[in-house]
Amino acid sequence: MSITIELTYDMAKALGVHRLEVEGTPTLRQVQALTRELFGAETEAFDKLTRVTALVVNGVLASRTLGLDTPLRDGDRVSFLKAAAGG
Amino acid sequence: MIKGYAGRILDVDLGTRSFSFKPLDEAIAKLYLGGKGYGTRLLYDLTPAGIDPLGPENPLIFATGPLNGSLAPQSNRFAVVCKSPLTGGIGNAACGGSFAFGLKKAGIDILIVRNQSPTPLRLEMDGDRDSVIFLDATDLWGLGTRATQEALGKGRNHAVIGPAGENLVLYAGIVSDERIAGRTGVGAVMGSKCLKAISVTGTRKLELDDQAKFNDYTKWLRKLFRAHPVLGEKLRRHGTMGIVNTTNARNILPTRNFKHGHHDDAMSVSGEYLEDHGLVGVKSSCIHCPVACGREVTVEGAGRVKGPEYETAALLGTNLDIPDLRWVNEWNFLADDLGMDSISLGVTLGFAMELQEKGLLQSGLTFGDATGISAMIQDIAHRRGLGNDLADGVKRMSARHGGADFAMQVKGLELSAYDPRGSYAQGVEYATSNRGGCHVQGASMYFESTGPLTIDPQSLNLKAEIPVVQQNLACAINSMVLCIFTTYGMIPKQVHELDPKGHLHRTITFLFERSGPLYRLLTKLKLAPVTWFEKWLTHITGQTITSGHLQEIGERIFNLERMYNLREGLTGADDTLPHRMLHESTFPHLDSGHPLLQLLPRYYEIRGWDERGVPLQRTLDRLQVRT
Repeated sequence: MSITIELTYDMAKALGVHRLEVEGTPTLRQVQALTRELFGAETEAFDKLTRVTALVVNGVLASRTLGLDTPLRDGDRVSFLKAAAGG
Repeated sequence: MIKGYAGRILDVDLGTRSFSFKPLDEAIAKLYLGGKGYGTRLLYDLTPAGIDPLGPENPLIFATGPLNGSLAPQSNRFAVVCKSPLTGGIGNAACGGSFAFGLKKAGIDILIVRNQSPTPLRLEMDGDRDSVIFLDATDLWGLGTRATQEALGKGRNHAVIGPAGENLVLYAGIVSDERIAGRTGVGAVMGSKCLKAISVTGTRKLELDDQAKFNDYTKWLRKLFRAHPVLGEKLRRHGTMGIVNTTNARNILPTRNFKHGHHDDAMSVSGEYLEDHGLVGVKSSCIHCPVACGREVTVEGAGRVKGPEYETAALLGTNLDIPDLRWVNEWNFLADDLGMDSISLGVTLGFAMELQEKGLLQSGLTFGDATGISAMIQDIAHRRGLGNDLADGVKRMSARHGGADFAMQVKGLELSAYDPRGSYAQGVEYATSNRGGCHVQGASMYFESTGPLTIDPQSLNLKAEIPVVQQNLACAINSMVLCIFTTYGMIPKQVHELDPKGHLHRTITFLFERSGPLYRLLTKLKLAPVTWFEKWLTHITGQTITSGHLQEIGERIFNLERMYNLREGLTGADDTLPHRMLHESTFPHLDSGHPLLQLLPRYYEIRGWDERGVPLQRTLDRLQVRT
């Protein structure tokens, strides 16, 4: 099962990559844990960067489904999302 | 005269080269404020049905409101109103820059430009001398908006057109400084009058009802705005392009002519990316605005210029499958300098690319390929070759070449950069917007897709209610005339700081989603001024304005616009979305598009309209809308 993870700009800047392809992550909770692991010893940075960040699966807020227990399917796109205003 | 107004309308006839000052009608000002509200009232009253939008009968109305000239933050905007050559219905566009401030300093609330000149002309208005000089503008004809304003000098405030307006590109705009009244083709109407530029000067002081209260309140509010996460930080730091990654994650970022709502490389046209790659400055562009959402970038051959907005980055970037800031910056500059709406331009180029892809038109334009686009933008502005075709926008192009199903327009106006399939209230707003497919007639997407507190964007709950309230509010704001970004301040800082994954956030969202009846009640209350919109209006005009009054004024304006459209032949059938939006899904869990047909009856009912979308007489009577 392949999942695409898209990071916020600040997270991407910290890790040097803005999209990750990962295998075998059946829930959002695991995606979050795996992304946190990528920060290595900098977990505080991860926590800070994701403090006001929502998780989205294929454009839909995870809080609308099962939160971190939302099951993932092959080909899903998980995005870390920050609120923003445009015009 | 009510305070906050200069009390004068300047009426100019380009055919006879004459002018007169007339008193502002206080009764109309009370009912419609100013800006697009007063402008629409004038347009309705001054013109018979069925006029040619590019003919001499179509007046071009520049309208300020009671907040202009007051030094309230984000208040130096003017509205332009006329019959739209693009939609055939109500045409209006708002613009920052400095022209509104100039008009008010000259003691002019509203400028009506009538008739046409046979030769290029420019106007110089001096409010202190009550003079209008008609000057030959042959030497300026053909110049870009930047060169035109440079030639006119810094001593006055200007509103000008570029080659797109001169050549009647149906989505040409009017430029003040580096800001543009872009939508609905108001620049083409100015071009049809052979009017290249209007310059204004004056030293009159605006009289407010309670200057001290206004000053104290505004001082406090400036501090609040400066500390606000959106107004004081995000917009200042990343501009409106700071929303690109959000709309992309939400699957509502136009990609390849709205075929998709997500682009893998969208980050490359985001405000954050610009901050790290090529941003040379932050600029306000609008006089007295503390937010400074404008960007400054460098374009080869042009130097330092205003950078793109979100709409431009999306529609000239991901929508064309060219997420490359070097190109977006250049095309944005070309659009501004040639004087045309970058939203309609981006959608039209995307449409031409899909026509090419489907073999319906040999446009020579291909998704993902920047070749030929700069030249095509020039050709559009000068109506050369195929550019002459693209200059008419996607509705007319689809009538010639086919592709109506993927012509991304409502009522003839090209869609803005928020895909309504992931934002249902925004879709209702697009469909019912009187000027067509535009996002700033309410900006409902902020409450369902992009803001810090969003309801489910794909449920039917509140999807008819939110657009009504937001459209009414936007009508009032555009009649004050204030920047719609001030509404971002309504959601307090504390909400922005909540963890969206946390229980408190979920609880507030839960309550928000069930607040429909309370929401409607609050918008009807006429107890006391609460928000800055109401307090500013109250301190400036001396009339007590509450949220209920504001909604009523906005509703009145919205209904008058609706009556104008009906008079000009538009019907409820025009309250629709492109076929692609209604029938193609961009979300894997859904097999259809926007559920507009399920939402429209409820929307009409809330509006007090019949099932055909016609306002009931009792609605018009309640709102004192005279037709």
